[in-house]
Amino acid sequence: MIGASKIKQYSNVLEKPLSKGKQEVSLSAFAFLFSELVQYNQTQVDNIAELERRLEDAGYAVGARCLELLCHREKVYHIIVKLCVMFMPFWLSQGNRRETRLLGILSFVHSTVWKVLFGKVADSLEKGTEHEDEYMISEKELLVNRFISIPKDMGTFNCGAFVAGIVRGVLDSAGFPAVVTAHFVPMEGQQRPRTTILIKFAEEVLRREARLG
Amino acid sequence: MIVCVAVVGHQNNPLYIQSFTEADDALKLHHIVHCSLDVVDERVNNPKKSGPTLNETFLGLLYPTENYKVYGYLTNTKVKFILVTTDLDVRDVDVRNFFRRFHAAYVDAVSNPFHVPGKKITSRTFAERVSNIVKSFGLSST
Repeated sequence: MIGASKIKQYSNVLEKPLSKGKQEVSLSAFAFLFSELVQYNQTQVDNIAELERRLEDAGYAVGARCLELLCHREKVYHIIVKLCVMFMPFWLSQGNRRETRLLGILSFVHSTVWKVLFGKVADSLEKGTEHEDEYMISEKELLVNRFISIPKDMGTFNCGAFVAGIVRGVLDSAGFPAVVTAHFVPMEGQQRPRTTILIKFAEEVLRREARLG
Repeated sequence: MIVCVAVVGHQNNPLYIQSFTEADDALKLHHIVHCSLDVVDERVNNPKKSGPTLNETFLGLLYPTENYKVYGYLTNTKVKFILVTTDLDVRDVDVRNFFRRFHAAYVDAVSNPFHVPGKKITSRTFAERVSNIVKSFGLSST
């Protein structure tokens, strides 16, 4: 007779096997850590620009490692591979393909990176109208800014410089050097301004993109 | 038998070179690794325009010399892994598995906040993991 297996009852909670754990960190823990990071940097610098630069450098280190990690861990199943999997299992491509096109890397940042870091895709990705080399990723409210209010005398300082640094790290390691900044964009009808990450690609990226057609 | 593994950065600067035999001249192995970088660049810049080989991470057999076979692997950040082996009948699956585990060890080593990107990898844990992976290479196939 085929019997259902009995679920093992553990008498002692210490004998239960450890679970793999959730792949998330609590928001409050991150908020505390981030506030401490900002405060620490604030004591070390004299002006706002330096503070922004430091936050960006911190984000750059995160972004570079993030790209390595994502490309190794994320399993992206392409349609071609789905068919191949049935016949040749060792052709399964584990991890993302290397992005060589501008739109490819931008949508990678906009969806995959945002999803892994913040749990959701970014609100929108737009191409700048004035310049050819500008792109904008907007978010109604950045996760890192949720518990932060900027005092009036700090002017246009935005702690989203950390996220701008992350984006710059990802783009730079993927071979698309760019200047990335974070700005507040006031929206009519809404109290809190929207945050926009402005990405300005270097000359060589545009030339390469034009060459690739 | 693997004689040498190497990690080369995106500006072709060496990040980690380790040879696993005392008999062979380490300099000769370094030279082989250096020459294989040219082959990698050539494969990357002139891709064979057939489906899955475009932007694929595993580059396959780069070139066979008189005693050695050299395999290559390219990550998304243009970091290259080079594997030099003396085995004559190496299975494709084994090499892919090797590179997968090597990539995992590399990602862990780079995630270290004290590691400066572009500098040599000095982590002892990484060296131990690599020697473990090298030891178990090819053993599972028998």
